[in-house]
Amino acid sequence: MIPANSRKSNSNKHKNTLLCPWLDGLALLTWGSLLLKYAVTGQYKLLIHPNYYGLVLASSIILLVLGSFKIQLILTRSRQHPSEHIALFPPGFSSSLLICVAIAGLLIPPKILTSQNALKTGVRDIPLTRSQPQSFRTATKPEERSLIEWIRTINAYPEPDAYQGQLAKVSGFVLHLEELPDNYLMLSRFVITCCAVDAYPIGIPVKLATSRHTYPPDTWLEIQGTMIAETLPVQGGVDSKTSMKKRSVVLAAQSIKSIPIPADPYNYK
Amino acid sequence: MNQLHSAFTLFLSLLVEAMPFLLLGVILSSCLLFLIDEKQLITRLPTNPLLGSVVGSCIGFLFPVCECGNIPVARRLLLKGVSPSVAISFLLAAPTINPIVIWSTWVAFGNQPQIVVFRVLFSLLIATIVGCVFSTQKDARLLLQTSFARRFNPSIYSPSENTEENTEEKSPLLQSGSFILDEGQVLPLNNSLLLDVAQSRLSLKSKRQSFIDNLLQEFSELGGMLVLGSAIAAIIQVFVPREFILNLGQDTITSILAMMLLAVIVSICSTVDSFFALSFAATFTSGSLLAFLVFGPTIDIKSIGLMASIFKPKIIVYIFTLVAQLTFIFTLTYSYFF
Repeated sequence: MIPANSRKSNSNKHKNTLLCPWLDGLALLTWGSLLLKYAVTGQYKLLIHPNYYGLVLASSIILLVLGSFKIQLILTRSRQHPSEHIALFPPGFSSSLLICVAIAGLLIPPKILTSQNALKTGVRDIPLTRSQPQSFRTATKPEERSLIEWIRTINAYPEPDAYQGQLAKVSGFVLHLEELPDNYLMLSRFVITCCAVDAYPIGIPVKLATSRHTYPPDTWLEIQGTMIAETLPVQGGVDSKTSMKKRSVVLAAQSIKSIPIPADPYNYK
Repeated sequence: MNQLHSAFTLFLSLLVEAMPFLLLGVILSSCLLFLIDEKQLITRLPTNPLLGSVVGSCIGFLFPVCECGNIPVARRLLLKGVSPSVAISFLLAAPTINPIVIWSTWVAFGNQPQIVVFRVLFSLLIATIVGCVFSTQKDARLLLQTSFARRFNPSIYSPSENTEENTEEKSPLLQSGSFILDEGQVLPLNNSLLLDVAQSRLSLKSKRQSFIDNLLQEFSELGGMLVLGSAIAAIIQVFVPREFILNLGQDTITSILAMMLLAVIVSICSTVDSFFALSFAATFTSGSLLAFLVFGPTIDIKSIGLMASIFKPKIIVYIFTLVAQLTFIFTLTYSYFF
């Protein structure tokens, strides 16, 4: 259990034994507070799926308890016996790194993903959600469907002409796609499966009376209108530069209202 | 600046999602340090090489630790007399085949259950196959690092049938034969076994003490690894040109190779590596994600250093060549069916 080289470096470790326990304790405390902050302020919704709220809250409490316990130990125990350990990092490095990240997290609020991220993570897949819809809610009235419910419905029954004339009222942020004509924009939302890393955008093309440049990207809009079916150019396969045409469900906008960024800007699956 | 802020957000999101699982893994591994009696475990291990390998792979269920935690466990098992082939199976399978890792994979890839199932299945197969391959070598000295083999207590070896003469043969410490010992009735003479015995005699209070110590130590070290791994994932996702990743990620073979390479470089803990892989889910083939999830836990830069303290360098190369080839073949087969 005690490798020869770690025994040799024992003398070096002694220098750090005074500082290291403090760093370990602080790492736990700062991370505990960071997670608690996310849980209390609701910012966790910008980072992970709300299903894991309990996990985050529980971890923050455990971390805070462990951290306080550790600090209490340091204060009561006069001398720390250095622990034998095979470590990749120099002692204290790991804890310092954790502390730095936690402090940065406490200072800098998480950012809401924007159209830039959407274009990067492959908005070309619109309107495909990644997995099969779990439920098909026919009970919902068309005008009460949210954006993700529309996408689910369309995916479950991908026949654009079937939705002709249905009323719709959806909200999302504006996304400009190059391949669409100038009077079309994408009304999009991010969908989170597990955490912000896997967020992918879904969206419905919206037909405007004016140029889309009236509504710059990332503006949040609530659009009311009727569904129509139109043949629109879509970006072909991921690596082919040629564009294809595809018949899709389009929202013909009748009233467009600018709204503030909602408290929970993402949809969750 | 905007980009940097996005990267930071993604980085935090990975960490916030992974932290509870890391904490859970660390707490359990610290608990089991005291709850499981390895001696009892060893006496119940089957001697048949195939069964031994299978069981070795499944011991992971009892030690829910990731690769960073299980090398010390494997060392302890070897010192207590488990045969190297069983220990190898354990080393390869334990990081994947344990409840925490399976759960976190499920959380991340719940919408693609086949990834979870095949991750477990492929890891089990690979660990068993490699374990069987090494069980054909009966002479453990050829597998183990000389300095490590020397630390075995001579009396736990059955009398050697080996008559070849060499200088080391005369040392009673290297009398080797079979590792399946006749119960550790002997008093261990080397440091580590003394440490273990001392540990089991600790009072409840100091047990709690070392539980906390072990927990904090694992948490801070693995946390550091996690921070680095998540930073790499976030940076790749935000800054590497999308076309480059797409071109790499869409081809069946290059995507598998790229993800296997990434697995080696990133060295992320298996408890949380599924969240890391998730950040590539949109652009990479699921076969390559699977390759990452299967290959990653078995090998990383850190574990090579740790393994070098147990096995001979040549053996480590053999193990990883075998594992890499098997992972490649399995995931390639998978990508033709899914």
